[in-house]
Amino acid sequence: MTGAEVTMDLYPQPGPGPARPWAFPVPERGVLGNGLAVLRCHRPGQQVVAVRICLDLPLDAEPGGLDGVAAIMMSALAEGTSEHTAEEFAAELERCGATFDAGADYQGARVSLDVPGSRLPRALGLLAEALRTPTFPGSGVDRLVHNRLDEIPLEMANPGRRAARQLAQELFPASARLSRPRAGTEDTVARIDEKGVRAFYQAHVRPAAATAVVVGDLAGVDLDAALAGTLGGWAGDDAGPAPMPPVAAGGTGRVVIVDRPGAVQTQLLIGRTGPDRHDRVWPALLLGTYCLGGTLTSRLDRVLREEKGYTYGVRAFQRVLRSPAPPAGGAAGVSLLAISGSVDTASTGPALADTWQVLRTLAAEGLTEGERDTAVQNLVGIAPLEYERAASVAGTLADQVDQHLPDDYQAQLYPRLAGTGTAEATAAVTAAFPVNGLVTILVGDTSQIRAPVEALGIGDVTAVTG
Amino acid sequence: MGPTATQKPGSGGLAATEHRLGNGLRLVLSEDHLNPVVAVCLWYEVGSRYEVKGRTGLAHLFEHLMFQGSAQVKGNGHFELVQGAGGSLNGTTSFERTNYFETMPAHQLELALWLEADRMGSLLAALDEESLQNQRDVVKNERRQRYDNVPYGTAFERLTALAYPEGHPYHHTPIGSMADLDAVTLDDARAFFRANYAPNNAVLAVVGDIDPEQTRRWAEKYFGSIPPHDAKVPPRDGTLPDVIGAELREEIREKVPARALMAAYRMPRDGTRECDAAELAVTVLGDGMASRLYNRLVRRDRTAISAGFGLLRLAGAPSLGWLDVKASGGTQIPQIEAAVDEELARLGAEAPGAEEMERAQALVERGWLDRLATVAGRADELCRYAVLFGDPQLAFTAVNRVLAVTAEEVRAVAAARLRPDNRAVLAYEPLTSADSASPAGEQAGAAGGDGERDGAGR
Repeated sequence: MTGAEVTMDLYPQPGPGPARPWAFPVPERGVLGNGLAVLRCHRPGQQVVAVRICLDLPLDAEPGGLDGVAAIMMSALAEGTSEHTAEEFAAELERCGATFDAGADYQGARVSLDVPGSRLPRALGLLAEALRTPTFPGSGVDRLVHNRLDEIPLEMANPGRRAARQLAQELFPASARLSRPRAGTEDTVARIDEKGVRAFYQAHVRPAAATAVVVGDLAGVDLDAALAGTLGGWAGDDAGPAPMPPVAAGGTGRVVIVDRPGAVQTQLLIGRTGPDRHDRVWPALLLGTYCLGGTLTSRLDRVLREEKGYTYGVRAFQRVLRSPAPPAGGAAGVSLLAISGSVDTASTGPALADTWQVLRTLAAEGLTEGERDTAVQNLVGIAPLEYERAASVAGTLADQVDQHLPDDYQAQLYPRLAGTGTAEATAAVTAAFPVNGLVTILVGDTSQIRAPVEALGIGDVTAVTG
Repeated sequence: MGPTATQKPGSGGLAATEHRLGNGLRLVLSEDHLNPVVAVCLWYEVGSRYEVKGRTGLAHLFEHLMFQGSAQVKGNGHFELVQGAGGSLNGTTSFERTNYFETMPAHQLELALWLEADRMGSLLAALDEESLQNQRDVVKNERRQRYDNVPYGTAFERLTALAYPEGHPYHHTPIGSMADLDAVTLDDARAFFRANYAPNNAVLAVVGDIDPEQTRRWAEKYFGSIPPHDAKVPPRDGTLPDVIGAELREEIREKVPARALMAAYRMPRDGTRECDAAELAVTVLGDGMASRLYNRLVRRDRTAISAGFGLLRLAGAPSLGWLDVKASGGTQIPQIEAAVDEELARLGAEAPGAEEMERAQALVERGWLDRLATVAGRADELCRYAVLFGDPQLAFTAVNRVLAVTAEEVRAVAAARLRPDNRAVLAYEPLTSADSASPAGEQAGAAGGDGERDGAGR
């Protein structure tokens, strides 16, 4: 090595001190008279309280041909209530220092409210208004429909979003809601009007099919009184179970190029489907996927970034798409298992070749004990950092609700991770990423990348327009 | 409801102590025992404004090299050791500073201090040509991914280049140009380290579940022997007139999905009361779902898909007021621009009412509550005020200063600064399909930046 001599005193690497125990909080569960379930969790020092309203409303509930009505309906909750116009409603919330967001995902719909604790009662009143007495004015719904139609081309211009849309289309049959965008397509969104939105609301939004998650510093907040005077007054009949038809998925390994002439990078999205979090394999899958591509020092980035410089970073991940309630859980659940990143156009072929080589080596030789240990130490050790904020805790609790998991799922996950061995993690990740069973989406310049990709033999290559 | 969300707005009972090592390293400590976590944050007072012509991007590329090993840390060891200890880490580079941070389980604090000290004092023992070549390629891919291969991606650097004249230290952004990145040599990197990476050019903040006395001893042990020096070349002066004097404008035809109007207004420097007033002015105009521009353009006129106005605070040059409007459907830019000008002029003519001030101040206060809600956020703010303004305690009172601004001050700053002759404008016109048959290489470019560029990893 060249460079300067070292002019500082050097000490050996220090070891850790005694660890202070930490556990993911298990919420207190209750139910209001109207059937609304409430999960509460006191987090000292977290002045911004996070409220999540989880609606058991999967996108499978949308009427045929009206994809996107759930997303528009959720957004339209803020477009006017019996008490306030849309502009007044937004201004009232923001005078509380609150942020308010509503959206619909395959598994369920959700309203998110974050507000300083001292203003929680007032903001809960506004949230309850939106859920109880939305007026869905024609002008507001029409504006949201047109806004959504304007947004679709913006989203599709983003290579990552475009790749995700193509992969969903490749992985699931056209009849499955999962094959189509959450917020609908140009065709379906254009059909949505106030009548359809109101009908969808009336059919599906009710307290008995909802859960409120409240997390933050709740000392000095009379939450029971605040809830009773707000969400407690939300009325509605009992709800039947939400529809969750089974879905077929899979297929053989293949490559689809979404053509972007002149693109300086190729966006990669390489994936297939896997189980949901009810499946016993989940902790092993988390560990194995982390070793494959969880961070800059995982197997993929060690080669693609830190050795070759092909990319700013490639990640492997898993994302639950649907997770029905047990006993159907596990078998009917679906997650996306994927590798994602972007590489400069000229490196597309070499980067894919290296990716497949990493996967082959992993399958042939397995993970090392050291890799598994580091992954456990990171995934378990990082928990108190990840869950400092009330919003992080609330998000995880809300995901558990949406996915019909027990309230202590996350708390139990950490000991399960710690108890997962190297062989189990290897088996899970090699089954998740089989070299012959992956669908590869490439958003890039077909004229530059097609031939090198065909030469790799990772599946038939087709190209579609961008 | 009172005017503020907390009894002691912003501070939340937070406190910090300051210390200085013999070699000039400033140390800021803040205890918080609610969670067993600790944040270590190290700001070096060097950023892209210190770069010279022909070497744009060097500060940020150098930040990547700080993760490539030092005397006692091999290769990617910095990442491996922190992540293996259950921590997270990263670095970022802006115009004015470069920061490095680790958030750790509290019992792993000593490891983070050892790692930061090792690279502050001995980076050059490990820095080699192979690391430079590799990280140059990584950074070029970072540039492609974040700027060159996404719609509107180059807007930030284009507007910055317009708003700050040729030769001004803020004329170029931290990511730098491809040609300059290609030109960086190992000697450039070594010289950059020798000039700028010194204990007396840094602030170290440690926030969380700490024993302050023990932390001071560790800081002294690991950092104390690193020699100080004064090799740093001060940045070029960033002073500019308050107002540009004439609108600067670029019409851009690119492969973008929608027309867009973006503009950068020259605003008061960070650290002044006028800057706090400016933050409220842009919040009234363009933050949230009840801002004037959102209500006007998105809700009423329905000429825009989105409309936002933000403030990029800068201490060594005028700040930037940042307008970003994406046009709806067939709306033409002049129609949007006329409405924007009308709203900006209206704020300059008449002070906002009590309810609008309440909304803007509540949103700014909320932003502070969010930033101070984590040990990492607090450590970063303490470093910011220590490096840029010489006093970390200012972090805990910053929100009070914004809450003390009056409606008339908001009007005054809008009148003085939010004028057509004080802005750089980008007007985006999408290429039609007929146009796009023209030669390749015409690249779409990404969303407006904030001056902060992530460094190694995510």
